Amino acid sequence: MIWVWILLAPLLGGLVYGGERVLRARMQRRQGPPFLQPFYDMFKLMDKRSLIVHAPHALLAVGHFFLLWVSVAAIFLGWNLLYIIFLHLFAQVVLILAGYSVRSVYSHLGANRELLALVAYEPILILVSVGFYLVSGSFEIGRILEGEGYLAQMPLLFAALLIIVPIKVKKSPFDVTEAHQEIVGGVEIEYSGVFYEFLYMARFLEYLFIYSFIFLFGGISYGVGAVLVAATFLLVNLVDNATARVRTGDMVKIVYGVAMSLAVINIVGILR
Amino acid sequence: MDLVWILVLLPIVASAALVSITSERVHYYLCSAVLILSGGTALTLYGSPEIFTFHLSSVAEGGIVVADVLLLLYFAYQGVKFKSRMVMILAVMQLLLYLFAKLISPVETAPEIVVDTLSKFMFLIINIVGGIIILFSIRYMKDESADPFKKRVFIAGLLFFLSVMNAIVCADSMLLFFLLFEMTTLSSYLLIAFRNDEISRSNALRALWMNQIGGVVILLGALVAISGFDTLSISELLEHSGQMVVLSVALLSMAALVKGASIPFDGWLLGAMVAPTPVSAMLHSATMVKIAPYLILKLSPALGGTLLGEFLSVIGASVFVAASYLALSRFVFKEILGYSTIALLGLMISLAAIGTESSISIAMVLILFHALSKALLFLAAGVLEKQYHVKSIEEMKGMIQRAPKTVGYIVFGFVSLTLPPFGLFMGKLFAITSVTSILHERPWLLIVLLGMIVGSVLLVLLYFKVASALLSHPSDTVLTKREHLPFGYHIPLILLSFLILFTAVGYTLVQNDRLLALFALPLLIVFLLPIMIRAMERYDRIQPYHCGEKESFDAALVYFEPSVFTQRLIYWGFGAMFVALLLAGALS
Amino acid sequence: MKFFTPFRKKSPWILHYNAGSCNGCDIEILAALGPKFDLERFGAINTGNPKQSDIFLVTGPVTYRSRERLVELYTQIPEPKVVVAVGSCTDTGGVFRGMLNVEDGIDRYIPVDVYIPGCAASPQLIIDGLVKALEILETKSKAIEKPFKLFGAVQMIGTKLSRLNMAQRVRHDEN
Repeated sequence: MIWVWILLAPLLGGLVYGGERVLRARMQRRQGPPFLQPFYDMFKLMDKRSLIVHAPHALLAVGHFFLLWVSVAAIFLGWNLLYIIFLHLFAQVVLILAGYSVRSVYSHLGANRELLALVAYEPILILVSVGFYLVSGSFEIGRILEGEGYLAQMPLLFAALLIIVPIKVKKSPFDVTEAHQEIVGGVEIEYSGVFYEFLYMARFLEYLFIYSFIFLFGGISYGVGAVLVAATFLLVNLVDNATARVRTGDMVKIVYGVAMSLAVINIVGILR
Repeated sequence: MDLVWILVLLPIVASAALVSITSERVHYYLCSAVLILSGGTALTLYGSPEIFTFHLSSVAEGGIVVADVLLLLYFAYQGVKFKSRMVMILAVMQLLLYLFAKLISPVETAPEIVVDTLSKFMFLIINIVGGIIILFSIRYMKDESADPFKKRVFIAGLLFFLSVMNAIVCADSMLLFFLLFEMTTLSSYLLIAFRNDEISRSNALRALWMNQIGGVVILLGALVAISGFDTLSISELLEHSGQMVVLSVALLSMAALVKGASIPFDGWLLGAMVAPTPVSAMLHSATMVKIAPYLILKLSPALGGTLLGEFLSVIGASVFVAASYLALSRFVFKEILGYSTIALLGLMISLAAIGTESSISIAMVLILFHALSKALLFLAAGVLEKQYHVKSIEEMKGMIQRAPKTVGYIVFGFVSLTLPPFGLFMGKLFAITSVTSILHERPWLLIVLLGMIVGSVLLVLLYFKVASALLSHPSDTVLTKREHLPFGYHIPLILLSFLILFTAVGYTLVQNDRLLALFALPLLIVFLLPIMIRAMERYDRIQPYHCGEKESFDAALVYFEPSVFTQRLIYWGFGAMFVALLLAGALS
Repeated sequence: MKFFTPFRKKSPWILHYNAGSCNGCDIEILAALGPKFDLERFGAINTGNPKQSDIFLVTGPVTYRSRERLVELYTQIPEPKVVVAVGSCTDTGGVFRGMLNVEDGIDRYIPVDVYIPGCAASPQLIIDGLVKALEILETKSKAIEKPFKLFGAVQMIGTKLSRLNMAQRVRHDEN
């Protein structure tokens, strides 16, 4: 059964993304695209001519997508949280290498920003998993989901995680990596057709990846987890509609200054 | 025991032979023979479980004293000759301290030479990685513009250094350790000054006096040990307990910090990068600086769980972060590698000082994998320097077009330092796990944990920032030429790459964790890539999109320069911590 | 790939290029994309990147300076693609017709599928034009479409030759 879910993971993420686009439009009092819009986009991309700059560049995007899929699958299977974070890191580095492998200014700019975003959120993710270990005694997601009371014990770590969610789902104020038209999509710029589709679907998987961290805070009561995810989803989109983009350096400073101190204070609190 | 003698004497014999023979072919044979023989010996030794001890005869004792006095006099002479007051003062200070220590030293009962598991492990790294680097240096020296005799002396010097290194990792007597420590300082000094221009001379002198500080603190540690317990043997010292032990251990670990170029002393390692590349690879990243974590590992029974150990591990973790951060403002490729070496040495010191069983084994693993990867990177940097005459990463833009193979090795080196399934990554992963698991008992390690996490992402940033310059390749509408890499350069690079791969696979298998197999996926991608590139010929090529800009231009590299104030803060902060280490030793 | 063809008109991604317009039409395009007219309900996104676009929205009479960029952008859009000329200047040159350094409309350089009149074209008209363009998009094939005129610098991009001359292998009957 779980393997079916894993196979369907990109579709699931696509539904989340479609729902988000509708939600965002409604927040701006627009009608917005159809709920299934991401899938229409996917099918259309299948029907386009694919133009590539050079072969490794295109293949690295495919590699990025599959590695992300593996890390999401590992979450579904309830494996070690640290391993999952590092698999995700590897997927991210593959994307960054893809961005660097072409002689395109915007691609390089995007990859630089992607790298800085990685520097910003990676420590927080690891600290959150350290927090889970200290409370539940294990890095295994399976074991973590058997415990409870995470939100009561690590509220500040949850807040720190909330700060980095916009980086991962590319939402304001931390959407520098994509930045709409400012750097023309960043790393995605040189892709077209099928290869762009892989990056497009990779975004769906990123949604699943980061929201499953939120879900873990519910512990054994999946209902609480679901409510947390829904609340975060609403909050992130609200913030996205209400704030402007901050610069990359400021993003790193904010995350290191605020989120990191929150996380450290929380862990010190647990250790006492 | 005979095998240990082979390790110590074989390189000396080979170096003598090498100076007298001019044929390059014979040089290759000789160095390959040394690599195979000493590597094989080290492997055999590593396989055998026994611990050898050896007592030096009184003649040898006398020889050591003479050698030591001569060495220190030579340092003093160099200080006078090049008008370096620091070198002079420190040499005289060392001489006085040494003679005093010798005067009050007791008749030694403990064996001076002890070959334990740690020494065998170090033999393995020194002989295999060192041997490969020496093989590389033959071809490198061919491209160097210098007198042929001087070139031969250079290679012979590297061989001689190999035997010094083999001796230092089994020295247990503090005075013998001091002699060998100063010998490594001497070879570092001579090899940095090899090109004999102004800048290399001044950098060599700086390296000399900074390392002499290490010698002074070792002597002080020995004096404390003599006055406290009447012994010179490190292992005997560790059997005692009490304040004197802690003080002595604190002094010895200060020497380790100096040799590991931890931050207030990072100047010497960076200056050493003006030396020919095999020197940087051998002395300043793969073997000599590994004395630092080696010494801490040796002292770890006295460090684990104490205030001193905790403080040392905090220093190590801070060096890890600070050195990675400082490296972000550098543009000379070898300096970047140098800083990342300092950073990773900090990590190893930190792990060794924690002193739990798992952290010690992780530190050892890190030493091995770091030696392999850094040697690969330095040798590749040497190829770029000699074949393409580029040193700074600014000149390396689009290097993959001109030197696809060399750039491939460099990127492989970067990947092996940061990503799964390679050893360094595994080490960091297990380090985080192991520190987290003892966080409840020793909450102070939270600082170390933070340092590890932040330092590793900063290193990822550093390496892939450099990769950004190397990798940018235009649309392949035109075919690029194949790169010709001479055998003398290529074979050491291949050997190191295979070693990295095999050790990584072996380490993963040894862990016996089925989830770790997951990390083999990236390897699969690497092997599938060439096949898939073939399949990609179906697709049409297109030029990159420049938003309508007609002139071709590249993205600038990003540097993160700390402000002068921050830099000063870092240096003074680490200087204060270095001194505080002594206080921690004295007070606890 | 018959199955995917109906989805072309469900997700038109737009590339908007200003070839020397007075900005009147640009403002109207942005108005059409904004909350009131809400082009996104058709699934349209303003991508800003030719490589991921289907519809090329051009405004302005094509000034001398912008013509090479116009052709380059056109060639970088992967097929199937449609070109929509927004506003009178883009169609014919409009009030700028015959002026120095103005090229009198984009159809001198690239094939245009839909002409939208008006100075400036109103958002309603732009949406009508886009819907028309979507119908045309559905009938197009994946065969290479070339601009009428190439400029030396973009010759290679224009012909889209891969190093193995693979451009020839795309089947023209694919619809």
